[in-house]
Amino acid sequence: MESLDDVIDAMIADRVIHRHRRKWLIGIALVVVLALVVLATGGWKEKVGRTVPTLTAPATVESGKWEYNFTKAEIRVRKKSEYRDAEAELRVYFDLKNIDSEEQTSDSLQGKLLVFVPGGGQDYVDSNGADCRGELNWVIVYGLPPESCYTTFKVPADFTSDLVEIGVQGERYESDNGLLGADEDPYWHNERPDAVVQLKPAVVDVTEEDDK
Amino acid sequence: MKLYRPATILVGVLFVLLGGLTRLATPEQVFEEQNLEVVHGTIGEALKYGDSTVTITRMKFAKGVLEESGSDDDKPIETNGVYVALEWDTVRGIQKPSNTGAKLVADGGTVYEPIGGLTDSGIDFPEAGFAKTGAVVFEVNPTDLKGLTLQLRPSMFYNVLNSYVEVDLGIPSEDIAQQLVDGAEAQYVLQNPVVRVASS
Repeated sequence: MESLDDVIDAMIADRVIHRHRRKWLIGIALVVVLALVVLATGGWKEKVGRTVPTLTAPATVESGKWEYNFTKAEIRVRKKSEYRDAEAELRVYFDLKNIDSEEQTSDSLQGKLLVFVPGGGQDYVDSNGADCRGELNWVIVYGLPPESCYTTFKVPADFTSDLVEIGVQGERYESDNGLLGADEDPYWHNERPDAVVQLKPAVVDVTEEDDK
Repeated sequence: MKLYRPATILVGVLFVLLGGLTRLATPEQVFEEQNLEVVHGTIGEALKYGDSTVTITRMKFAKGVLEESGSDDDKPIETNGVYVALEWDTVRGIQKPSNTGAKLVADGGTVYEPIGGLTDSGIDFPEAGFAKTGAVVFEVNPTDLKGLTLQLRPSMFYNVLNSYVEVDLGIPSEDIAQQLVDGAEAQYVLQNPVVRVASS
């Protein structure tokens, strides 16, 4: 059974809500508008741009367990032939040295450690790994002098550029968090950007002869 | 409610004692790692790998590598270091051996992995009842060769008892390493692996 007090309380509450409803609505609308304005202007996070150094080739970069010495870049263009569409690829030449003093283990370069940065908000293009001594994914031995290698990026057939930017990502020798039950031994992973290298690419026409 | 009755405490003490007693029992075999039985050996010795066997038959040093299966105009792959080719012979038992991650370890702490790009380089096992010969090629640093040891370590998904083979390649000192490097052939021709019926 509802008492008189309860009824009176409910009536007063009703009045109060009604009296201040407009203010409430305006308040909520203001918050929504503020959120939209913040979103439209690019969010809370301050845009800082590039935080890694930008180098110009020839440049030496030590990143994770690899030491690169970037020398030159080529845009290799294959003209359209009767049975083949036009193709282009971006090839970047560098000397690669294994400086993995943590594990001293020979390894081949992973493709995701070198990325082509097309700019203009486009997605990065992963490389295909290092091609040394004529073999893709050649295993580089710790302690031996640098090998001269190149890596290839897929680009559209009509690709042209005066200056290409290659991002170098370096892995870190660290362990996973043991709290979740993972092994706490450190290993090479968690690659992070370390540098950007700018190279002036030369345009090279590729013919059938070069394939051999 | 009384939580710590004498009977409860007695049961607790009993469990602690039981746990201690099991640790006192001596195990039949002691392993260096709890789930790996290490098999040590030298070149020419047939070493147990599960119920299969592995024998390293020969070690060769070379300055270049060429594949037998390659085309005629292939050039040998050169190196800044030196190549070590290990010729092996495996006899497969009934159980399928787990994959072998072959690697070389030197006293200086360098770990060498097999070179990439050669399709026939690697250690593997044929079907049950067969034996196989082949070779695996490593590129190594000539200044870190002392105590070179081949390790065959199974890659395990489950934590089961496995064996782990270690082959001493017989390079006890820097001088011997230097002699082997000086005596390296100009090129090593990597033969195609051969499978034959295992003679028991």
